Amino acid sequence: MGANDEMLLLKAEHIKISFGNVHALKDVSLSIRPGEIHCLAGENGCGKSTLIKIISGVYQRDGGTIEFNGKKLDKITPIDAINMGIQVIYQDFSLFPNLTVAENLALNTEVASGKRWVSWKNVRKIAEDAVSKIHLNIDLEAKVGTLSVAQKQMVAISRALMFNAKLIIMDEPTTALTKKEVDALFKIILNLKAQGIAILFISHKLNEVFEISERFTILRNGEMVATGNTKDLDDSKFTYYMTGREFENKKFLPAKVSEKPIFELDDLTSPGSFEHVNIKLHGGEILGITGLLDSGRTELALAMFGMLPASSGKIIRNGKVVEIKNARDAIANKIGYVPEDRLSEGLFLQRSIADNIIISEIDHLTSKGIYDRKKRDREVGNWVHEMEVKTDNPENPVTTLSGGNQQKVVLAKWLATKPEVLILNGPTVGVDIGSKHDIHVILQKLAEDGMGVIIISDDLPEIVQNCSRVDVIKEGRIVGEFSGEGLNEAAILSAMM
Amino acid sequence: MKKRIVVTLLTASMFAALVAGCGSSGGSTASSGESSAQASTSASQSTASESASAAASTAASSAESEAVTSTSVSSASGTASDAPAPGNWSDEEAVKKAVDEQWEIAVVPKDSTNPWFVRMKAGVDKFASDTGVNCYQVDTGTIDATHQAQQVEDLISQGVDAICVVPVDIESMDPILKKAKDAGITVITHEGADLENVDYDIEAFSNAGYGAFLMQNLADAMGEEGTYTTMVASLTNGSHNEWADAAVAYQKEHYPNMKLLEENPRVESNDNGDTAYNVAKELIKTYPDLKGILGTSSFDAPGVARAIQELGLQGKFFTTGTGMPADNAEILKSGVVKSLTVWDPGKSGEAMVDLACKVLAGEEIEEPLNLNVDGYTAMTRRSGSDTVFEGQGWVTVTADNCDSFGF
Amino acid sequence: MMNNKLKKIFHSNEPYIFLIIILLGVLVQIRSGQFFTGNNLVDLFSALIVPGLFAIGEFMTLLSGGIDVSFPALASLSVYATTKLLLDRGYQGNVIAAFAIAIAFGAVLGALNGFLIGYLNLNAMIVTLGTSSIFQGLMQGTLRANQLSTIPAGMKTFGTVPFISATNKVNGLTSVLPYTFLVLVGVCVLMYLVLHYTIFGRGIYAIGGNASSAHAAGFNVKRTKFIMYIIIGMIASAAGICRTCMMQQMHPTNMLGMEMNIIAGVVLGGVALTGGSGSLLGCMLGTFLIVMVQNSMILIGIPTTWSDVFVGAVIIIGVIVSALQSNRYEKVRTSKNKEAAAK
Repeated sequence: MGANDEMLLLKAEHIKISFGNVHALKDVSLSIRPGEIHCLAGENGCGKSTLIKIISGVYQRDGGTIEFNGKKLDKITPIDAINMGIQVIYQDFSLFPNLTVAENLALNTEVASGKRWVSWKNVRKIAEDAVSKIHLNIDLEAKVGTLSVAQKQMVAISRALMFNAKLIIMDEPTTALTKKEVDALFKIILNLKAQGIAILFISHKLNEVFEISERFTILRNGEMVATGNTKDLDDSKFTYYMTGREFENKKFLPAKVSEKPIFELDDLTSPGSFEHVNIKLHGGEILGITGLLDSGRTELALAMFGMLPASSGKIIRNGKVVEIKNARDAIANKIGYVPEDRLSEGLFLQRSIADNIIISEIDHLTSKGIYDRKKRDREVGNWVHEMEVKTDNPENPVTTLSGGNQQKVVLAKWLATKPEVLILNGPTVGVDIGSKHDIHVILQKLAEDGMGVIIISDDLPEIVQNCSRVDVIKEGRIVGEFSGEGLNEAAILSAMM
Repeated sequence: MKKRIVVTLLTASMFAALVAGCGSSGGSTASSGESSAQASTSASQSTASESASAAASTAASSAESEAVTSTSVSSASGTASDAPAPGNWSDEEAVKKAVDEQWEIAVVPKDSTNPWFVRMKAGVDKFASDTGVNCYQVDTGTIDATHQAQQVEDLISQGVDAICVVPVDIESMDPILKKAKDAGITVITHEGADLENVDYDIEAFSNAGYGAFLMQNLADAMGEEGTYTTMVASLTNGSHNEWADAAVAYQKEHYPNMKLLEENPRVESNDNGDTAYNVAKELIKTYPDLKGILGTSSFDAPGVARAIQELGLQGKFFTTGTGMPADNAEILKSGVVKSLTVWDPGKSGEAMVDLACKVLAGEEIEEPLNLNVDGYTAMTRRSGSDTVFEGQGWVTVTADNCDSFGF
Repeated sequence: MMNNKLKKIFHSNEPYIFLIIILLGVLVQIRSGQFFTGNNLVDLFSALIVPGLFAIGEFMTLLSGGIDVSFPALASLSVYATTKLLLDRGYQGNVIAAFAIAIAFGAVLGALNGFLIGYLNLNAMIVTLGTSSIFQGLMQGTLRANQLSTIPAGMKTFGTVPFISATNKVNGLTSVLPYTFLVLVGVCVLMYLVLHYTIFGRGIYAIGGNASSAHAAGFNVKRTKFIMYIIIGMIASAAGICRTCMMQQMHPTNMLGMEMNIIAGVVLGGVALTGGSGSLLGCMLGTFLIVMVQNSMILIGIPTTWSDVFVGAVIIIGVIVSALQSNRYEKVRTSKNKEAAAK
């Protein structure tokens, strides 16, 4: 133990903090070795963010000890943390979208220097030095607001490196990145490790944890439930530590598939997005559509729901050709759509959970022009119960819910319209494991009850577990179909690439 | 002795009434729509000019074109020449009685600190010292509708004989005036044409009459020839547009050598001197033939004057409009503007008290009403109203008299 | 690289607003033959002085992510108090004392805004609506403000003596640009330097871009806002003095209500209501466009009845043009990102 201690960069033990009556962290310990990639995992609200904020000096702990670089620290201020070499890259990157890359990189240094005047020459020099550390090729005069998420992240990392960082904490850095961008990020993380910088990588994505980290710590409800070497960890253990629940990841097997297809795409084409797409969906089936980010999968999803109508080809419902030119047409044809970006497309964030659920069936709650409040409340109560939405009061704004529960609300909203075809685009993106499992159970049950479900996702384990048939789309065309024995991750992945 | 005086006075007043009656015998009663009391702009609230424009906006347009025709522009008072010259209050039977009976007449202004109403107080005080009538103006402090209502209530409980009010807020004043009337107190108002619970309301002039008077001033400055246009605070301002309409009508009838600018017959100043200045410059640039602007709001003529000064057009380009004498002393004395027009709150104060005496004395109030005050000697009923009387109480302000008003 | 820079210029609002100004100028020229004349341009620049100064202040608040609707009342109060003070003392010296006193008053009043918005972190719109009422109340209630029809001689001289005068040979009209124009130029240059070359100025941009990041980066967000509102109060008061000098009288309520057109002009110039983006050049161009529209209505021959509609239409067209071009830019950008991702 003693020998180990000397090797530790950060040793935080028995950390406690409470906000009012809420014990956000009850007894959490975290140790990080110099130059290691450590993954901190846990579901939303488990205390991950609180822990980072204590380490970086934003919050003051109520109890416990912290040692950094062998030095006991009684109180940490944000400036202390920076001076000791702790840098946090938050999910929003704390960048200034209205300023140039160069200024974003240099501003902190300039402010810290206590100068009153800005030397633009100096700004440029600081910025050039900063990007050269990670060999970042970027236009320093571009406004940060015009960059892609991945580029912004690189700018944030470059900025973090300017302060002789010994520990860089990354808060869910892969959330908005494509697979390629994640790979590029991981390369940089490994590069940093090679320079002796330790990385605390916060994530709840299983595959990432396995791919990048050497050691892990998992929190649940403000307590540390496990820590150790990643190689000793496996899927089911990870899930158990995260949720405290054992899930049987039930492989979906279609029970009663309708004889005739209920929803077909016949030679659907939208130039530049997808071409000659033919798809048949039977009731009781879960069809997966997967592909890379730019494969046209999202455009296809939007076309099916009428939000981005295709230029040629047919959409057939129960054997009849239907015109779907907008979302209203789609709903009229009993097609539901759960969008990719639930925050901007799927929910009215400021409105209550209840209002969000009943929004699309408001016509049914109105009799003779009068809004039936009682019926509405009954309806809302049913859905909250059925979907297991975790809330004290359905009249609270949707924003009070976690990502997973928000997604359940979106789902409830569509199910309330009683669709026969349900299209889901990235149904569990940004959703915690527990809710993800709940959503999968719901989808499987819906299919068992005869609904036709289409899941569009690049989460291969999800696809494999839940779909009875999978179409792979690549560069706008369906390039393969998998089912039965042939339905496995490796096969799908090779078709995607 | 007494009897003889009474008889003489009666005869005199009958004679006066006869003469005044001739003056208005042919009075056309071209009625306009109800002009709104809110026509004055909010931007100038609580300033003297607001009071002025509010007064004008409550005046309707039962035009007295004959009376206007004969109005002598050069006379400072602007009183119609065939209207009787004011007589002596002390010769009035009613005033005599007021002194004998020791009637108490209180005048409640909007804002006793405002120079406009300081001037009104001077009129009330003059009436008191000339006649010995117990009349006075209440010290209200700054403009405040609630406070004014409270003061009227106090006067009711003190049991004064007549209350003369220039109301801040019509809505809240009306029910209180009802209390006063119920208590047997005589109620006279000024700039309160929409009030119901009054014996009489007096207004300085009709909109049409004032418009014609404005045109006389402009024509005088322009030598009765050349192209002109009109300026109002906004096209939706009731009284300003009525003045301007009447001015144009008067020009068409009386000044054949003057011409309204057809391309742009009416422009807006937004009750803002700077806008008036910029609009005037633009007009002068665009229309080389333009020689004059007839302003209505108190911001118009001063703003135009600034443009005349800057562009070096003194003596070539002319303007007139409503204007407070003290505020505009400089442009009048420098000769940029020959004359402005205004009405005198002192006269309104005198007229209210005199009318109060008449009502208290139980005299019949008939048109033409002569209150023995310049501009208030041949007052006529506003068409459609029993209680509102309108005079010809406009005044020309020139370099010579601008210092004598005290406001 | 050069090409890149050129592209960036056309991604910003300024060239488009400039284009609208030129087009409108040509329209006025065709209709009246009076636009490109010395005296007309002098008239426009002289009409720009006061709105221009106010716009600089508004530009800063919008940059920081706030909004200020109190500056007309603030300027009215401080300038009324200053002019009254000087008149009561019988002061006849030059204008510097007037500027000094008014700017001092402006700093105090601005500090009230700054304290409430910066240190108490209250909503800028609500605070300035409130302080606007307070300033008007102080002026009309406590100071019993009335029109001051004479102003000290020094102020009058400053507002009327020509810095530039231009005579139109055709009609012989001579327009005067007073020295107050130099105040506008001076404040413009000064604020450009402050916003570009001081940490304080960059702080305003940073706060507008992302206030919590600015805090994390080490800016004293509260103090920066506080000082900024003080400066805005000072600029507004200087503008008020300029206006009073030029009008040769002080009317306490005449400036009220200017805020909406000022905000419209600044936003038209490409300054985002959400804070953080926009340039001083754009702000001045947008304000100039508004001033120009207001002062060209008669020259173009728009009937008075339609003038408000025309002003509104120009504002809407301006906003549409800038929205269209930024949308186009956005599209180019996302497709580029896609390309990058596909690689």
